[in-house]
Amino acid sequence: MTARAWVLAAVAAVAAGLALPGAPRAEGARAAVDHCLGCHAEIGSPEAKGFRADVHFAAGLTCADCHGGDPAQEDQDQAMSPARGYRGRPRPEAIPALCGLCHGSSPNRFQARFRLDDVASAFNSGAHGAALKADPKGPQCVSCHGVHGIAPVKDPRSPVYPSQVTKTCAHCHSDPAYMKTFNPGLPVDQYAKYLTSVHGQRNARGDARVATCVSCHSNHAVLRVRDPRSPVYPTRVPGTCARCHSDVRYMADYHIPTNQYDDYRRSVHGIALLRNSDLNAPACNTCHGNHGAAPPGVGSVENVCGLCHQANAELFDKSAHKEAFDRRRLPGCVVCHGNHRVAPPTDALVGLGPGSTCASCHRGAGDPAAAKILRTRALLDSLSLGREAVEKQLSRAEQLGMDVSEARYSLKQVNQAQVESRVQVHALEMGPLQASAAPGIQVISKARLAAVEAIREYYFRRQGLGVATLIITVLALLLYLKIRQIERRQRKDEAR
Amino acid sequence: MSADDRPDGRLSRRSFLDIALGVTSVAWLGAVLFPVLEFFRVPPQDEAAPTSVRAASFKQLKPGQGVVFRFGSEPALLVLTADGKLHAFSATCTHLGCTVQYRPDLQRIWCACHNGIYDLNGRNVSGPPPRPLTEYKVAVRGDDVMVSKA
Amino acid sequence: MGRTKDRLEKALRERYDLSYLEHLAAEKKVPVFRGSFWYYFGGVSLFLFIVQVVTGILLLMYYQPGEQTAFESVRFIVTRVKFGWLIRSIHSWSANLMIFSVFVHMFSVYFSRAFRRPRELTWYSGFLLLALCLAFGFSGYLLPWNTLSYFATKVGTQMISVVPLVGPTLMEVMRAGKEVSTATLTRFFGLHVAVLPAVFTLVLGAHLMFIQLQGIAEPESWEGAGAERRRTMPFFPNFVLRDLLLWLIVLNVLAILAVAFPWELGRKVDPLASAPAGIKPEWYFLFMYQSLKFFPATILGLEGEAVGIGLFGLAGLLWFLVPLWDARTPAGARNRLLTYVGVGAVGFIIVMTIVGLR
Repeated sequence: MTARAWVLAAVAAVAAGLALPGAPRAEGARAAVDHCLGCHAEIGSPEAKGFRADVHFAAGLTCADCHGGDPAQEDQDQAMSPARGYRGRPRPEAIPALCGLCHGSSPNRFQARFRLDDVASAFNSGAHGAALKADPKGPQCVSCHGVHGIAPVKDPRSPVYPSQVTKTCAHCHSDPAYMKTFNPGLPVDQYAKYLTSVHGQRNARGDARVATCVSCHSNHAVLRVRDPRSPVYPTRVPGTCARCHSDVRYMADYHIPTNQYDDYRRSVHGIALLRNSDLNAPACNTCHGNHGAAPPGVGSVENVCGLCHQANAELFDKSAHKEAFDRRRLPGCVVCHGNHRVAPPTDALVGLGPGSTCASCHRGAGDPAAAKILRTRALLDSLSLGREAVEKQLSRAEQLGMDVSEARYSLKQVNQAQVESRVQVHALEMGPLQASAAPGIQVISKARLAAVEAIREYYFRRQGLGVATLIITVLALLLYLKIRQIERRQRKDEAR
Repeated sequence: MSADDRPDGRLSRRSFLDIALGVTSVAWLGAVLFPVLEFFRVPPQDEAAPTSVRAASFKQLKPGQGVVFRFGSEPALLVLTADGKLHAFSATCTHLGCTVQYRPDLQRIWCACHNGIYDLNGRNVSGPPPRPLTEYKVAVRGDDVMVSKA
Repeated sequence: MGRTKDRLEKALRERYDLSYLEHLAAEKKVPVFRGSFWYYFGGVSLFLFIVQVVTGILLLMYYQPGEQTAFESVRFIVTRVKFGWLIRSIHSWSANLMIFSVFVHMFSVYFSRAFRRPRELTWYSGFLLLALCLAFGFSGYLLPWNTLSYFATKVGTQMISVVPLVGPTLMEVMRAGKEVSTATLTRFFGLHVAVLPAVFTLVLGAHLMFIQLQGIAEPESWEGAGAERRRTMPFFPNFVLRDLLLWLIVLNVLAILAVAFPWELGRKVDPLASAPAGIKPEWYFLFMYQSLKFFPATILGLEGEAVGIGLFGLAGLLWFLVPLWDARTPAGARNRLLTYVGVGAVGFIIVMTIVGLR
């Protein structure tokens, strides 16, 4: 080729390169020239200084890749000309879209190489995105990641490195004046509580593996707690905690059990929350706290349980067990009911046989409390077993076709008596226990009478039918004989 | 003279048949009349109409008092508040089905089982109950406090 | 005992001229032949009607019509009232047996041509009694106010509306409104306990009077036969005692049915609930209901159901008027057409009922 052709080709190439609107530099090769950076560094701009340490600089981006313009131009007017795509300082509310050019949904050359996620869409879909839309002073990429000096997340200098991120979040979320403009109802004490928690204390000592804000609330798509998609929506909280606390390898250095979620899932509380979506049921944070997460102290367990199970806790506190447990430093309710694997309590818990919790301390018939325990169990049994027996009898009566709906209705009171008696067990006093069981026992015996009566009536009807049939058959027979007699006589009279 | 008549005149087959017929007829009549007459005896309890029930005697109600009564096949609660207003609700707690009661000291409806609390509009205001209590209509006719489904 | 009877008789005779009754008692005769068994069904129907009246009056002591009270009062009767279960089940079973018996009686009269001159009025009044029986059954069925009765009434009254021109109005009058409601219940109750019993009693009285005035119909086989072939038995006491014997057995059957197969309460009407699957009217309406289902949706531009009901109406009218179109055959020869039509009708009813029950 002639030299002329070479020059033409070069010009064409440069023109092509210029024609592409603000496209980022190809394949991470550092631009041959970044005059923006050069000039601004010369004038001592802190952004330029910081950018040299920025992860984007290492990836080969120039100032123009975000701010637009032509980095190949030395002349300021040409380099920063809007005609060449110069955007200047982006407005805060436009920042997610700008970062989203690479860190977003549109395909780009950095995605595959650096494995970039679509964090822009995640951000926009969350509460922070909504806040930014509502008010430009709201959070955006720069608020947490910084700018002109963005360190990778794994770098301890990054504001979103685990040991820093809580402070970053707290920068806004502990500022009442700032938070008031976005959500006046949101508390601003999460960071203070967090510092008292086990997670917070370890985090302060430099443990990068404990939970931080981001671990539970996620980083970009931060959703409100009442949003069912949020990892901290009540029914999702146990799963979120379990992400770490059930991971045996992850928790290996901490020497605490990892079976809590498994236990909880099978417990009464777990089934209520996870399977039946009963939002009243406790999740991990109900007993342990969420930001100030710590196990409740041994002496205060029944305070926690007593938040819902008030009657039981009050009775327990006044009972002999309270003092005995405190002396032995036993954790209250947990002793009999467990903490995570709280099973539906049955009457079998009370007694001296296998499967009962009393037997773990009160061994055998010689124990001074043995008589009381056995009497308590007997009372509870008279309600539950008695009820079962009556229901069988009532079913039999119904099968025979007799109506016993009144008796069945009355059995509802047995429910009431059972619930109340089982609560009264915690007081360890026979008097109140008998008082709560008595109405139930009365109802059971009345219902039994009704069932027996109904079954008796059934047989009475059949026997009555038998008697009536007998009388009618005899009468019919006699009538038949009478007819024959009359007709015989008539024939005789006619014959004469 | 019929061949059936015996010389001694007494208890021939014919009159034996007649006597037997007579006796059995009386027995039969008894077997028919007994149920019919028993039928007329009024049974012990009155059947309650399920959509409107006489809950209590107005004169016997005290202000600040709650009464649990039977409404059809479910328990119901009638409350006469201190300021003289009558309220009636289904007394089945929406949590786990225990029967609620009126607590004059709290001026609210309370469930003993898990400390659920409802206000005097039946709304669940505290504790585990997930839903309000169904409210019933109350009307006073003379001394009868009649409660009916809304 | 015998002397008391004589004294009573003497006292009555002194006051009343009982010669007509005595003549009746002495002279009334019932033909005795191979088919005289069928003569009993008239009496059985009468007996069952008496049972219905007695048990009906007893039920009336406790039954309360009304949305809140109908079902509850029936439940009260069946569960709380002493022997209420017995009275109620007897009433329901007797209703079914009565309708069956009336149909048998009607067909036996038909096949034996007893409706012929001079007994046309007896036939007409009898046909009317059959219609009244069905009306009794239909109106009474709603009174327990359970889901079966509600939907059966709904479907049954629906049929009326397809009659051209007057159908919808008739249905509204029957239902006392556009839908089956408490108003329908009240109306049916009034019909069942007041109107129908009064009309039935009058027509029954006429029916019995006609029979009384003309004597019991003689069988066709007696036509042209000599006196020695005409065996009879006296009405009093022979036929009456035999009738009583049969009535006694029927009463026992009713008692056994009431105890062994008690009539169920069902579930109270909930108009918002959908009809239970396989809803159908009582068995005595089943043949009509079932055959109407076989009619295509439209026939010659007219609604299929309307044509069906029209045909049934026509058939009923022809049946009613059978004394008119029954052609007298030459002496001795039987009228084959009547027999074929009759057998066809019985066969149709039986087949359709069985199909409907499956």
